[in-house]
Amino acid sequence: MAIPKYDAIVIGSGITGGWAAKELTEKGLRTLVLEAGRPIVPDKDYVEHVPAWDMPFRGMRDRKKLQKEQPIQSLCYACEEVNSGFFVKDTEHPYTSDPDKPFRLIRGRQVGGRSILWGRQSYRWSDLDFSANLRDGIAVDWPIRYADLAPWYDYVEQFAGISGEALGLSQLPDGKFLPPMPLTCAEKVVKEGVAKSFGPDRVLTIGRVAVLTQDHNGRAACHYCGPCHRGCVTLSYFSSVNATLPAAEKTGRLTMRPYSTVHSLIFNSQTRRITGVRVIDTQSRAALEFNAPLVFLCASTLESARILLNSATPEFPGGLANSSGELGHNLMDHIKGGGARGTIPGLEKMRTTGERPNIAYMPRFRNVKDKHRDFIRGYGLQAYSFQDGWGRGAAEVGFGTDFKRRMSEPGPWNFIFEGYGECLPSHQNFVEIDKNCLDAWGIPSLKIHCAFGENEFALRKDMSLAAAEMLSASGAQSIQSFRDTDPPGFSIHEMGTARMGRDPKTSVLNVWNQSHDIKNLFITDGACMVSSGCSNPSLTYMALTARACDYAVNQIKRGEL
Amino acid sequence: MERRELLRLLAIGSALPVLPSPLLAACRKIHASLAETPALKVFSPHQNATVTAMAELLIPRTDTPGAKDTKVNLFIDHIVADWYPDELRALFLEGLTNVDSRTQSLFQRDFVDASPSQQAEILRSLGDELAQAADAVAGNPRGYRGSPPEPEDNFYLQFRRVALTGYFSSEAGFSQQLREEIVPGSFNGCAPVESATPSKGS
Repeated sequence: MAIPKYDAIVIGSGITGGWAAKELTEKGLRTLVLEAGRPIVPDKDYVEHVPAWDMPFRGMRDRKKLQKEQPIQSLCYACEEVNSGFFVKDTEHPYTSDPDKPFRLIRGRQVGGRSILWGRQSYRWSDLDFSANLRDGIAVDWPIRYADLAPWYDYVEQFAGISGEALGLSQLPDGKFLPPMPLTCAEKVVKEGVAKSFGPDRVLTIGRVAVLTQDHNGRAACHYCGPCHRGCVTLSYFSSVNATLPAAEKTGRLTMRPYSTVHSLIFNSQTRRITGVRVIDTQSRAALEFNAPLVFLCASTLESARILLNSATPEFPGGLANSSGELGHNLMDHIKGGGARGTIPGLEKMRTTGERPNIAYMPRFRNVKDKHRDFIRGYGLQAYSFQDGWGRGAAEVGFGTDFKRRMSEPGPWNFIFEGYGECLPSHQNFVEIDKNCLDAWGIPSLKIHCAFGENEFALRKDMSLAAAEMLSASGAQSIQSFRDTDPPGFSIHEMGTARMGRDPKTSVLNVWNQSHDIKNLFITDGACMVSSGCSNPSLTYMALTARACDYAVNQIKRGEL
Repeated sequence: MERRELLRLLAIGSALPVLPSPLLAACRKIHASLAETPALKVFSPHQNATVTAMAELLIPRTDTPGAKDTKVNLFIDHIVADWYPDELRALFLEGLTNVDSRTQSLFQRDFVDASPSQQAEILRSLGDELAQAADAVAGNPRGYRGSPPEPEDNFYLQFRRVALTGYFSSEAGFSQQLREEIVPGSFNGCAPVESATPSKGS
């Protein structure tokens, strides 16, 4: 047998694959990263400074082309005219779902994956989250608590650079923050109005965001141009391309292989280990095989599940590493779509300057100290404040010199609260392989069965009531509460298809994100999540990945892996 | 220079930083001889002239360029041809015909031949109807995230929307009129309105 060329294979180069690549290479492992998409070169591929007048549709996007090639991806706000290439073509990446249970799957296939596109909100979870399943008797208990993850949150925050404000809240632990970005005038009004009416339990704070407010680890501070999801030539926001992959590259132990779609994993039933990875080269369509003694599966919640389900063996007929029967199950996504909007009077002489790539945030306040009668768990509220621009002129009737001047000045201040609510894990929400639905490379795709339940809908209802109530207390006008029907998937926080747990009978991964069944297989993307919390999960994925890498390398050193 | 080559250059003209002057002179000559804008995709020369005149009334040249200077008419033609769904394109073209018929019934001439004050009166009548249409839909269900309903089947609303977009997304509209910068370099969440570097509005 030939000596393997690599010590480890990382599948995927998104937010967790990037971390796995950095940690494993820095700990001395020769690491191959298999990325399904194209390479990304910041100087060439980032397009955040392309002005509207250089775009054929001036930012209105090529509607007909998107409708044909990316009808699902283009529903995402971040899929713009100049960066739609950071999203997959739906025609190449089909999936199916039940007619009455739509699921909206937003995907990016390139080096960096969706870390190029993410919203950058970065929150620590607390024991309110990690003990939630145990407390409610739902699904299985998390095998970890906040104390297990706290040092790893410190570690990833200090590398990534998270700006934010420390609040001392038990439900949203403080981190190692860079200086916070400022609030807008409207946010200050609502912050004060809510504090006055609802006391210290409801705090509006600036978003904790993976965007640098000062130079950090060789990356430059934000220059406030706005559209981070088009890239960032100054590397000011955290992504694999901007931060972790260059660090891995620096070790000299990284091999990045783009255009490498993983078909399945190869399992040896004698050694009970993964011995290789089957890859389809998306350019040549050649079937290839790569081998290493350690595999980190970081392909994203649904792709990782798909790869394992497509890797079924006689020993694991329901999918590799699936002795528990939980693989593909317990799919979750935050419920959103509930909130309220209004205008904030009295700020006519004020405006913003520059583009803040961040929102304001109200941490969860339901079921923290009190107990709500209609639902368990809770939600955080994201807040957007902005002034109307020239677009308001379409529905006005003025014209001429004075109209032109007025439309060049900012209009009324708007404020929108929108909730992101916890989704309960349910065995009924699951994915399976749809053999009749193949992607462009002939790999069977997923059929997704996922719907929100009563508790999620109760959360959405409360989001819109509470948001309107708080806007009213803040003196907002023209308050309009809303309850939209965003389907699961559209928060793009999908998680939970290969959950962690203490018991191999009821969980796929152990306390270290290691497969209960196959010791040299680790899964550290959103698939590992046991519950969904209500705050954005990426920072937790990062911390779990760094922690799992540390464990895996220590096990190798001890000869136990 | 071949006329075909010239047409090609004109079609991408907005991407050229500066047109070389011999080319400009040739353009003028051909313009004069053809009396039409060669890059049009859907508008007839008459429809183009109507849209050009309406857009300039909406956003006139002041101490900064206006709609005509920034070729808003060509942007509208492009959007109506290549972006609008079929129904919206039909609505838009019908709306243009209606602009002439209402100018005919009031002033016995087409919009482009009317005096500035007559044209302004036509826009005011379109505006009155837009306001009525807006009132009529005010009670309709709200849009995504509670956005207010607008009378989407009103031609004048659609015209204003696309004309404003064409102007404020042009280099002159963005840099000279809005005084915005692609790279502001800093963020202030609560600055006096007189500030020099505003946020991008839309």
